Amino acid sequence: MADGAQQSGNEIEIKAVSKVFGLGAAAFHALTEIDLTIRTGEFFTLLGPSGCGKTTLLRVIAGFEHPSSGQLRIKGQDVVGQAPNRRLVNTVFQNYALFPHMTVAQNIGFGLKMLGRPRSEIDATTSEMLHLVKMEAMAMRKPAELSGGQQQRVALARALAPRPRVLLLDEPLSALDLKLRKEMQTELKRLQVETGITFVFVTHDQEEALTMSDRLAVMNKGRILQLGSPHDIYHAPKERFVADFIGETNFLSLTVSAVAGGCAELVLPGGRTVSARIAEGVLPAKGETVSAVIRPEQAQLVEAGTGDLSATVDGSVFFGTDTHIHLTLEDSQSFTVRRQNTVGQADPARGARVGLALMPGALQVLRG
Amino acid sequence: MKRDSHRWKWILVSPALVVLILAASGPLLIVAVYSVLSPGNMGGVAWDFSTEAWFRVFFKRDIFDPETVTLNADHLAVFQRTLWLSFQTTLICAALGFPTAWFIATRPVNRRMVWLFLITVPFWTNLLIRTFAIQELIRNTGTVNTVLVWLGLIREPVDLMYTDFAVLLGMSYVFLPLMVLPLYAAMDKLDFRLVEAGYDLYASRLQVLWHVILPLVKPGFIAGSILVFIPSIGAYVTPRVLGGGRSMMMGNLIGLQFGQGRNWPLGSALAMVLLVIVVVALIFYLRITTRETGGRDGRH
Repeated sequence: MADGAQQSGNEIEIKAVSKVFGLGAAAFHALTEIDLTIRTGEFFTLLGPSGCGKTTLLRVIAGFEHPSSGQLRIKGQDVVGQAPNRRLVNTVFQNYALFPHMTVAQNIGFGLKMLGRPRSEIDATTSEMLHLVKMEAMAMRKPAELSGGQQQRVALARALAPRPRVLLLDEPLSALDLKLRKEMQTELKRLQVETGITFVFVTHDQEEALTMSDRLAVMNKGRILQLGSPHDIYHAPKERFVADFIGETNFLSLTVSAVAGGCAELVLPGGRTVSARIAEGVLPAKGETVSAVIRPEQAQLVEAGTGDLSATVDGSVFFGTDTHIHLTLEDSQSFTVRRQNTVGQADPARGARVGLALMPGALQVLRG
Repeated sequence: MKRDSHRWKWILVSPALVVLILAASGPLLIVAVYSVLSPGNMGGVAWDFSTEAWFRVFFKRDIFDPETVTLNADHLAVFQRTLWLSFQTTLICAALGFPTAWFIATRPVNRRMVWLFLITVPFWTNLLIRTFAIQELIRNTGTVNTVLVWLGLIREPVDLMYTDFAVLLGMSYVFLPLMVLPLYAAMDKLDFRLVEAGYDLYASRLQVLWHVILPLVKPGFIAGSILVFIPSIGAYVTPRVLGGGRSMMMGNLIGLQFGQGRNWPLGSALAMVLLVIVVVALIFYLRITTRETGGRDGRH
């Protein structure tokens, strides 16, 4: 069934798409000049806080909203103005939107029935889908008789049954409890690999985005801020919003002492200089104060007087696998270190003087 | 202790129960008893047991030869017309009520109340006045005929008054809001994401209407149909004004027995027949409509 899996190329091409709701002074710019290419067979995530435009973008791809301007192609075909029922794209809705008056099997077979496929094919595909999402035993139930996780599986099966080119998922896991959500994350990833269908996944959960995606786009206020692999986004955020939204980050305000070969020498509190990567499109000047980021796990506590920085311990929070140690630097900027826990390790006392070693190349200078 | 509080509950609700029993069953009992008595000379009843009224509901005796009994074709025609007109009224109200309710339900929330308010405006005017207004429209020298003659579409006025059509028009107009309101209530609860889900799964507009919207607003149709059908069967004013003697319905036939006919037992028997028709029609209707949705709650 994975007829699209091995094909390479672009599934969805979005060029300069804007969406404005309302008119004049009351106009709301939900999407501003979005440029995005989603590749065939990839698990692509749109990540951002609520109201950032990610759901609107998904609805534009599905055909429920029409872009105010810009181009949208699905597999090379211009689909602007095309009705949702004519697009080979299916959606898994946030609250599942299962038809309450139909059984699980009828829900799953609905798309194929509307496409006018013969009864035998509908039945065969329905049972195949029931098997795929492990819901064979529930075929004759009504949605109201299912748990949230089961409804979620039926919604997936229903959207997959017509074998769409692209599956759009609008925060499908947000209504599930934590344990079920983890299970469904694995399940979704498995389904995507098995079917080879291009998945476009919308979420506000950064962890979900990092663990599941091949590539992701971070959105805010109707714009795409950064596009890349989870690894790129986490380790090389281009701007403050991205660094802040994804994972935990230390922001430091530092002065540039030299710029050379795509790297900047930054002066740390206490006088030592350290080399930092520079985000794409940023041109720091010597003497300028810039914003730099480093992840809490990319610094280590060392003995006082050694390392790159010295700091005072404000306190620590135990998280099980690791401990977050909150520090104050010499120039009173805050800093958090994440330390992997081992048995019998003592937390540093409040008020203790410690040294701090930064992982080489971990610091990154941000845009703006 | 528990039993005591239980007993107290019964004592507390007893006034309401007494009122209910007296108000609902009392009149019904009187009608039932009257139907097996003899007519009084000046109206009213004479307290002699008689099944003559029930006999005359369905049969009639030859004037010259009382032994010759035939079916009472006039009564049966009225029963038949009553059922048929009520059925048609319900269909027309459903056909007009659905788009109306849909229109209201798809307006922005703050404007829906205005439209609902407008739906109720006709109720401000007395039913009789509204019915006479329809008469003004459709009588031979009324608005419709005058305009049609003036336009040259017809040479002579068409007889619209005192026909089944006139009664149907009047009843559909009068009862339409009773269909619109429950339909609106059902659509208001409709999850429009299900409509989107339908479109997303390749259904055309018509298919979404048929497979998604109609099944989901069915409770509204059922409630609306009952609210329209029952008062239609018992309609009195509309067929009286617009149907006259030529298009009489059961309500008028019953009214006639208590008035000019001075045959209260026959009127009472006819009223009992009307009641039975309503109950049978309701049971029949609920049977077919709930059988189709029977799976709604599955095997619970």
